[in-house]
Amino acid sequence: MFLTRSEYDRGVNTFSPEGRLFQVEYAIEAIKLGSTAIGICTNDSVVLAVEKRITSPMMVPKTVEKIVKVDEHIGCATSGLMADARTLIERARVECQNHWFVYNEAMTVESCAQAVATLAIQFGDSGDSDGASAMSRPFGVAILFAGIENGKPQLWHMDPSGTYIKHCAKAIGSGSEGAQQNLQEKYTPEMSLKDAIDLCLNTLKHVMEEKLNETNVELMTMTTSKKEFTMLGEDEVKKLIEELV
Amino acid sequence: MNCLGVEQFPDYKVPGVQHVDFSPYESNGGSIVAIAGEDFVVIAADTRLSSGYSIHSRDQSKLFKMSPKTVLGSTGCWCDTLSLTGLVKVRMQMYEHTHMKTMSTDAVAQMLSIVMYNRRFFPYYVSNILAGLDKDGKGAVYSYDPIGHCERATYRAGGTAGALLQPVLDNQIGYKNQNLPADQLPPLTKERAVAVASDTFISAAERDIYTGDSVLINIITKDGVEERKLQLRKD
Repeated sequence: MFLTRSEYDRGVNTFSPEGRLFQVEYAIEAIKLGSTAIGICTNDSVVLAVEKRITSPMMVPKTVEKIVKVDEHIGCATSGLMADARTLIERARVECQNHWFVYNEAMTVESCAQAVATLAIQFGDSGDSDGASAMSRPFGVAILFAGIENGKPQLWHMDPSGTYIKHCAKAIGSGSEGAQQNLQEKYTPEMSLKDAIDLCLNTLKHVMEEKLNETNVELMTMTTSKKEFTMLGEDEVKKLIEELV
Repeated sequence: MNCLGVEQFPDYKVPGVQHVDFSPYESNGGSIVAIAGEDFVVIAADTRLSSGYSIHSRDQSKLFKMSPKTVLGSTGCWCDTLSLTGLVKVRMQMYEHTHMKTMSTDAVAQMLSIVMYNRRFFPYYVSNILAGLDKDGKGAVYSYDPIGHCERATYRAGGTAGALLQPVLDNQIGYKNQNLPADQLPPLTKERAVAVASDTFISAAERDIYTGDSVLINIITKDGVEERKLQLRKD
């Protein structure tokens, strides 16, 4: 793709003669530099797992936060530029709260992804419409939205082009290609929660450069019985890693 | 006259000139009654539209079907009713397009409250009662004040004869002050709800000059909305 590079990759509002928006494509490439994040959605649970890159032993691992709660029933895993991710997550949280305020009901996962996607494609706008200053470039983030809706688990993926698609299992970030391959081979919708967690951890183990341990991985689960965002603690993660086959 | 150090002209009294206050509101009358049952809800409204001693219409429905499971009854200033119900319909259509589902009765109830409170300092002069089936298929009645306070009830009367009808419902539907043990209250049937609603309107038409002509009754069940009409006195 970089062979066709020309002056068309300067402006975010200009299509190339082949009909491409290079800045958006570059943003999608930027995700592939980010840490790996995996989401698995089974019949009765949805699991998110991300790798945390601890680049220095002086770093405090807990301060790297890549899985966040959006609402009681929605959680997000991000990969790419973390600063951009915070802007998008902030929007997701505001939209969920606003939906609850206006309609007295939980926002659907799809609507949440749609609301964030609307912000994600506003990079070309002059920014006058809502008073906010314009974003001059696409957001360099991909997001996995996990949630429970009408008692059913769901997983959605959104990329910098604002495209959002529902998935059974999805990997994003640097190890996404290998991880996605692995998920495709091992995934079944009938998997138990434990199997889904194990598949997440095993897949991460394969694609991560460092050795998998409780400080460099984050894990979140949501089940149809306990319809809430649940982060797993370090000791729980440690136990799960030790049990891995 | 001196205001902030500036000499002002006095208000001259000019003979024959009248000062008219801004009065954007008008009461066009009408009453609503809604009764919720286990798996149905009945909402009724009279069809008279009047202004003072004049009758504008004897056949104007005040019930607005918002969805197959939700009906909004609205009386008061008729132009505000039209404006508000129009806005709610638009908001429901937008919701359907964005979220790809029809709004539930509970969602409409909350949205209506917020739409009305947004006009806190220039309110819609309306008395609203929202009736429908909730997420579990149970009958639900929501009542509002003009600035959007929302309350869920099992039965409610509103409009010009609201104060006249509510005690009847308290007695006949709520069995208030009858010292009946909670487990001995007879279950409410659809037929009885319709009969009580009809009777309250016959009584209201007797005493309230803004209620009369006929009463439209909507019965909402999981199968849809059934409409009935009953004639009232027309004087």
